[in-house]
Amino acid sequence: MTEAIGSTATPESGRPADATEGALDSQTKKKRGGKRGKKGPFARMGLFYRQVIAELRKVVWPNRSDLMSYTTVVIVFVAVMIGIVTVIDWGFTELVKYVFG
Amino acid sequence: MLTAFARAFRTPDLRKKLLFTLGVLVLFRLGAHIPVPGVDYQNVNQCIKEAGGNGGLFGMINMFSGGALLQLTIFALGIMPYITASIILQLLTVVIPRLEALKKEGQAGTAKITQYTRYLTLALAILQGTGLVATAQSGTLFRTCQVGNQIVPDQSIFRTAVMVITMTAGTVMIMWLGELITDRGIGNGMSILMFTSIAAGFPSALWGIKKSGKIVGGWGEFAIVIAVGLAMVCLVVFVEQAQRRIPVQYAKRMIGRRSYGGTSTYIPVKVNQAGVIPVIFASSLLYIPALVVQFSGNSTSGWAQWISTNLTKGDHPIYLTLYFLLIVFFAFFYVAISFNPEEVADNMKKYGGFIPGIRAGRPTAEYLSYVLNRITWPGSLYLGLIALVPTVAIAFFQGSANNFPFGGTSILIIVGVGLETVKQIESQLQQRNYEGFLR
Repeated sequence: MTEAIGSTATPESGRPADATEGALDSQTKKKRGGKRGKKGPFARMGLFYRQVIAELRKVVWPNRSDLMSYTTVVIVFVAVMIGIVTVIDWGFTELVKYVFG
Repeated sequence: MLTAFARAFRTPDLRKKLLFTLGVLVLFRLGAHIPVPGVDYQNVNQCIKEAGGNGGLFGMINMFSGGALLQLTIFALGIMPYITASIILQLLTVVIPRLEALKKEGQAGTAKITQYTRYLTLALAILQGTGLVATAQSGTLFRTCQVGNQIVPDQSIFRTAVMVITMTAGTVMIMWLGELITDRGIGNGMSILMFTSIAAGFPSALWGIKKSGKIVGGWGEFAIVIAVGLAMVCLVVFVEQAQRRIPVQYAKRMIGRRSYGGTSTYIPVKVNQAGVIPVIFASSLLYIPALVVQFSGNSTSGWAQWISTNLTKGDHPIYLTLYFLLIVFFAFFYVAISFNPEEVADNMKKYGGFIPGIRAGRPTAEYLSYVLNRITWPGSLYLGLIALVPTVAIAFFQGSANNFPFGGTSILIIVGVGLETVKQIESQLQQRNYEGFLR
C-alpha cells in the first residue's frame, strides 16, 4: 500500500504527514513507557483492568431475539440427541442383558 | 424451527451426513455396552447397582466415557486417551522445534503430527487400560462392593493381556470413529463423541436427583435442577455469541478493468475465543494424577495419599483451585496457538486491508494481540467460573457433587458442541439457499 502511494502521489504530501505521525507515535510511546515505568504493579493492574473494561464495552452482545432463537435451537438439539442416545442405550442394555445375563 | 430440522433431512447431501453421524454414534454406544472378555458381567452389574452411579474416584472420567468405564466394556477408556494425547502434542509443539517446523509445513506436517498423536494415543491407552484392569482385578474399582474382587475371575497373565489389548483396540476404534465423523459427518468428531458420552449419563443422573430429593417426592429438586440448567444454557449461549468486532477496511484496487475490494468488514474476536477446549483439556489433565496413583497401586505412601485426598474429589478446594487455574491457562494457550496476530496482520497487508487508525504490518499485529489479551481475560474467567460455580453451589447443598449432571463442565461441553454442530448444519443448509434455523 505504501509503495503505491509513494509511486503515484507526490512525495511531499506523503512524507511529512508520515513523519509527523511517526513522531507523534514515538512521543506518546515514550510518555506511556515513562508512566508505566514509574507506576507500581497495582497501578499497572488498574490500567489493565480499565483497558479490559474498555474492550468489553466494544463487544457486540447478542440481542434478545437472537439469544432466544439460539437457546431454543440448542436446547431442542440437545434434547433430541439425549433422547436418541437414551433409546439406543436402553436397547443395547437389554440386548447385553439378554446375551450375557 | 422444527421445519428446519425436517428440511435438513430432506436435503439429500445433508441427510447422508446426518445419518452417517448417527450410525457412527450407534456403533459408539454399542461398544460402550459390550463387556470386555474375562469380566463377570453379573458381578459388575451388581456392584454398579450398589455404588448407585456414584463413581467416587472415577466420577468425572466415568462421565466422560458415558458410563462405560465402570462397566468394563470394550470402549471403557472412551475418548480420553485421544484427547490427552492431542493436548500433549499441542503442548509439545510449542516446546520442540521439530514439531513447530512440522506445524508450519502445512498439510503434510499436520498429517505427520496427527500420526504422532495416534501413536501417543495407543501408548496412553495401553497404560490406562493396564491400570484399569489392575484395579478391577484387585477389587479396588468398587471398594464398597462385596463381590468387588470377583469381577475378574480368571487372573492369569494371558487373560489380563487379552483384556488390555481389547480395551486398547477399542480406544483406537473410537479414535477412528471420531475421525470418520470429522471427515464425512457433521461436526468435530472428537467433540461429538464427548457430547454423546456425557449425554448418555444425563437421564440416569437426573432420575437419581429425583429419587434422592425430598420436596414433593423429588419433583421439586428435579424442577430446580432443570430450571438452573436452562438458565445456564442461556448464559453460555449469550457469552458464546458475544464478539468484539475489529473493523477492517480493504483498499480499493483495480485488476484489469474490474475493481476489487473497497469493502469494510471486521475480524470477529469472540469473548470466549477458545471455546470448550480449555475445559476439556483441564479436566482430562487433572485426571492424570489420579491415574498415576491408580497405576502405582500402593496407596499407602505419602504422596499417593495426598493426591487421592486432594486431587480426586470434584469438590475439594485444592482441586477446584487447580481446575480454575488450568482452565484460565488453557484458554490463553489455545487462543495463542489458534489465532496468530502476526499471520493475520500479514494477510491483511497482503490483500490491502487495514484497521482504521492503525498502520499495516507490525502495529496491526500489536493491536490485535492487545485486543486479544484484554478480551481473553474476561473470557477465561467466565469459563473457569461457569465450570466451578455449580459444583461449589451443589457441594454446599448436598454431599457429593461428582455426578451432578448440570455440573459446569458438562453444561459447557454440551452447549458448546451443540451450538457448534447446529451452526455447521445451518451453514450447510444455507449453502443450498434454504433458510436455516436461525432467522
